[in-house]
Amino acid sequence: MEIFITVASVSGISTILTILIIISERLFNNYGTCSIDINDGAKKLDVEGGSTLLSALAENKIFIPSACGGKATCGLCKLRVLDGAGPLLPTEEPYLNAEEKANHTRLSCQVKIKKNLKIVIPEEFFLVQEYKTTVAKIDRKTHDILEYNFKLDKPITFKAGQYMQVKTKPYGKVKEVVWRAYSISSNPSTHDAVELIVRRVPQGICTTYMHDHVKEGDIVELTGPYGDFYPRDTASGYVMIAGGSGLAPMKAIILDMLERGIDKQMYLFFGAVTKKDLYYVEYLQELADKHANFHFIPALSGALPEDNWTGEKGLITEAVDRNVQDITGLHGLLCGSPGMINACIQVLKKKGMTDDIIFYDKF
Amino acid sequence: MKQTANMLSIQEMMQAGKLTAEGFLGTDTRNLTEILLADQAVVNELGLTFKEIADKMQAITDIGLKMTEAVLPVNEEFAVQVDEYMGFIPCPFADNYQAAKRNTLLKNRRTGAAVHWSDLNIHMIREHGFFEGVGSYFRLDPAYLISFLK
Repeated sequence: MEIFITVASVSGISTILTILIIISERLFNNYGTCSIDINDGAKKLDVEGGSTLLSALAENKIFIPSACGGKATCGLCKLRVLDGAGPLLPTEEPYLNAEEKANHTRLSCQVKIKKNLKIVIPEEFFLVQEYKTTVAKIDRKTHDILEYNFKLDKPITFKAGQYMQVKTKPYGKVKEVVWRAYSISSNPSTHDAVELIVRRVPQGICTTYMHDHVKEGDIVELTGPYGDFYPRDTASGYVMIAGGSGLAPMKAIILDMLERGIDKQMYLFFGAVTKKDLYYVEYLQELADKHANFHFIPALSGALPEDNWTGEKGLITEAVDRNVQDITGLHGLLCGSPGMINACIQVLKKKGMTDDIIFYDKF
Repeated sequence: MKQTANMLSIQEMMQAGKLTAEGFLGTDTRNLTEILLADQAVVNELGLTFKEIADKMQAITDIGLKMTEAVLPVNEEFAVQVDEYMGFIPCPFADNYQAAKRNTLLKNRRTGAAVHWSDLNIHMIREHGFFEGVGSYFRLDPAYLISFLK
């Protein structure tokens, strides 16, 4: 009985305190209109104080990438806040390295607007737009990967290697809306549609929505393009290494380079476990057959007897080691899981490739 | 069994649609406290600790992390595959822990029998003694898991 009274008292006091805090916030924390100075006066916004920086920018059609909807679990919504942000929060700490902390980088979803702010955001974020799209086609590529073709409501310009964000709708017991990032696999010369590759994440809220609930003809909201994973130097050739859905941006990059007539050597390695995990193989092999400078090397680390696989066997690192002898004039482009990328970086470095010409996108 | 307000709040976070599509409790009709106590009894009876189980799981995941999205040998009998996905998932026990979205598949090469777990499973077993509810996608029956890991 005594324990019950104690628990009830503590719960009661906590509830009263919470109510008081909420009331006082409403009464006293009226921050009024605050200004946001972007990129040293390049753009200025007046917003009502009290919301997060991420949502205030989105309301003004400036879309900062964010995959978790403001819960500080993705670390994507970084930007620099030079003035007015207040102290760094514990929720931000895990996502910021020493250099970022020193240059005032913050998670915009965690910065509450209480006074005037001075912020710096990459210029390309001004190009990000919202698209109301129609799902024109859904094509199963593997047991856990679907390719979506979205017809856009207005033209898009993007660089091969960039990604879009998909907005979910409530479904089943999922009441919240989330945003998630998926790489574009289509050629940037197509402006009225984009193709995205979506790999099912077991129990994932967005991929379950995409795989089980989105149908052809549905309207889906996208924002983009985002990301800086694209080749800068077309004077060099590339060793490209992809795993899983990391093949999506590589396909876009290959299509773009071949269409632009870039004749540098391009080696594309695609690592999978068994044959059922492979996709785009015939398509990419046909491209390789047509273009002497493009070499496509899929490798299976766990090929089954019934796969009858005659291609490269073993880890993707071993396939790279066997097939790339001279890395002179080649840069590295890697997209896949962190573990795969870390291992591949070591192989490229062992062959003499330096850190400054190895570019990667870890998902 | 009656639950504390804290347990009720955690149980609420474990419902479908909160942190994952189908939640952490599956089709289990027991409440969170009952699930925890039942699984703790199994672990106690088998003479192990949550930390020992989690350490073993982590050691196997670490082998798989040497090359993710690939099948790697653990020993003559077992092989491991670790798949990674973008982002993190917070622990429903509200302890500020965020696990990488990473799944480990441990497979007996001879029999084909397998168990799979997430990085969050390892954390929740180590810190909270939680193996998820029966019927949940990532439920790990403690007795089966222990016998498999042996």
